[in-house]
Amino acid sequence: MATASETGIITAHREGATKWWTRFLDPSERTLAALLLAPTALLLSLIIVYPVCRLVWTSFQNLSLTSGLPAEFAGLENYRLMIDDPVFWETTWNTVLITLITVPGALLVGLGLALMANMPFRLKWPVRLSLLIPWALPLSFAGLIFAWFFHSEYGVVNDVLRRVGIEGIIWFNSANWAFAAICLTIIWKTSSFMALIILAGLQTIPRSLYEAAEVDGAGRFRQFFEITLPLLKPAIVVALIFRTITALQTFDIPFTMTRGGPGTSTATLAMYIHQNTVDFLDLGYGSALAVVMFLLSMCVTFVYLRMIRAKG
Amino acid sequence: MTVTKTVTWLLAGAALTLSASAAMAQQTNLRVFVSSQHRPDVWRKAFDMYEAQNPNVKVTIETGGNTSEAQAQYLNTIMTAKDSSLDVMILDVIRPAQYAAAGWTVPFNEVIQGDAQAYMKRYLPAYAEANTVDGKVVALPAFADAMFLYYRKDLLEKHGIQPPQTWEELTAASKKIMEAEKDPNLQGLSFQGKAIEGAVCTFLLPYWSMGKQLVSDGKLSFDKDAAVKSLTLWKDFVDQGVAKKNIAEVATDDTRKEFQAGNVVFAVNWSYAWGQFQGPESAVKDKVGVVKLPAVKGGEPASCLGGWEWGVSAYSTNKTEAQKFVQYLSSPETSEFMAVNAALLPAFPEKYTDPDVTKAVPWFAEAKPVVETAKARPVTPRYNEVSEIIRTTVNAVLAGTTTPEQGATQMESRLRRVLR
Repeated sequence: MATASETGIITAHREGATKWWTRFLDPSERTLAALLLAPTALLLSLIIVYPVCRLVWTSFQNLSLTSGLPAEFAGLENYRLMIDDPVFWETTWNTVLITLITVPGALLVGLGLALMANMPFRLKWPVRLSLLIPWALPLSFAGLIFAWFFHSEYGVVNDVLRRVGIEGIIWFNSANWAFAAICLTIIWKTSSFMALIILAGLQTIPRSLYEAAEVDGAGRFRQFFEITLPLLKPAIVVALIFRTITALQTFDIPFTMTRGGPGTSTATLAMYIHQNTVDFLDLGYGSALAVVMFLLSMCVTFVYLRMIRAKG
Repeated sequence: MTVTKTVTWLLAGAALTLSASAAMAQQTNLRVFVSSQHRPDVWRKAFDMYEAQNPNVKVTIETGGNTSEAQAQYLNTIMTAKDSSLDVMILDVIRPAQYAAAGWTVPFNEVIQGDAQAYMKRYLPAYAEANTVDGKVVALPAFADAMFLYYRKDLLEKHGIQPPQTWEELTAASKKIMEAEKDPNLQGLSFQGKAIEGAVCTFLLPYWSMGKQLVSDGKLSFDKDAAVKSLTLWKDFVDQGVAKKNIAEVATDDTRKEFQAGNVVFAVNWSYAWGQFQGPESAVKDKVGVVKLPAVKGGEPASCLGGWEWGVSAYSTNKTEAQKFVQYLSSPETSEFMAVNAALLPAFPEKYTDPDVTKAVPWFAEAKPVVETAKARPVTPRYNEVSEIIRTTVNAVLAGTTTPEQGATQMESRLRRVLR
């Protein structure tokens, strides 16, 4: 038999449950909730759920516009083709590599920029405005601008190198240098976004903490590692989630800078999807590739969400 | 009285509006896509002449992208969206078959009076073939083309060198001239190493010259040894300093510009370049010679068949007018006009020896056998994939990221996936 206290807990629990259920079952409130949610649900299913389902369905089909044949169900054929497609593996690896290099890179640069922008300047707005400019620039513009910067004959980078006595590099003629140029461009382009989020985080840290630390005799480095960094963690995680997902979808900058060259050494998965669908008109295979990229993004998001929950 | 008057005026007004809109309905607007590298300025003049003969037709020109693939990407987007904004489009010779398979173009069979096959006989056989799919005329030729070897007549004469017959002779001639001229900006040879459509021809020129075919009877007939030799030939030009180090960045029009600036001894390019070499902005005016491309040692000279075709969009709302307009564009008269004014090779065999044409472009008389023997790139609906495999491999080998052997192996295994 249950003891009195146990019964008490159960009753309390049941009361809570009843309350929750009644709230849910109350017809007027339920209708209202449904009505309020309906537009969003409808919009989301129209622009997200339907296209994703359609994409998955297309990925199971043999559908190539150049074949002149109608679509036919092919099961997992498109996925099987992927396994021994060297370009699929190369572009996926390039995408992962770009993510592994540019996400930490942009975080470090962004953190530095945010710390500088948070310093007690007299005129804060010019600093913050210049911080915004790379973020406001369209990706393809950034790619085209930097393609000229890195041009072997007319580019400013090689010009500077020559002036200091270093033989210019033919950036886009070598897989490694082309990759480096792309990563530098992506870091330049995305670190301002990181900086903006981190700057917002910095401003929520109360000054009193630093004052107290100073009284206790903590130096600047100690203050940074004991106060700033721990309190910035939530902002950093949010920034990392956004940045990682966009890094996995990298398209514009390599597309405008190298078109994936030399060979396919700087092509990303997103570019390969675009090539299969837009250039080759092989919608079945392109969709299967897109499903893989979708799953990859989902996995990363899931990992980050777990991290946040663990922290919370 | 006043009421009657008002009504009369209203009726008169309505009648006027109606007749005006009837006149508007007769006016046809045709939107035409022209490749930017093929003298849209001169095509505009040909369009103006049509407008003068057909006052009810207004032609708008649209142009964009500077390479064949960039243009195909744009047109593919328009066509997959079933966009009706374009009526007529110019297509690279490799595309009419693909566009017909996708159902993006309207056949001309109904507007051609009589037997379509007989009608197509007026063109060079290669173009009659490229534009006919299963008995359907899917596009009409805009102009013919092939790759030629341009050379600096003045420099060759100065150093007592004859135009080369083989690629080895070309290497020797380049080295001799470059050493004697001592100009650090002078390149021996310029060709297309960027991963563009032109790089497919770059690969095929020596490959064909060795007597090998890429596709026979719809099946892949890849000869790996010939492929390695072809890739090695081009890479050697870079390694020996005959071609510039960043040749992997060079597209068709870059070759044209560098030759035109006087920085190149030999250049592999299409016929359109001639017009610009002789233009007012050229540093090499009257110093240019054109011959057929060299062969590999012991092989036959080979050229790549080019040329562009006019197709009418299946989504056009003015198909009949558009087809009539294309018939004008693909007529012997327009062909002659474009040959004289833009150095675009005619698709009509008799125009090569036409006195007006040979007066404007003297070398066209010798160009005819080159065009007639030029080889066509493989015809397959999956051509875009074949092209991508070849051009990225050529690009990777020239950039030095892959060796010719590795490149040929990758090319073969990837081609096998596409052409099973």
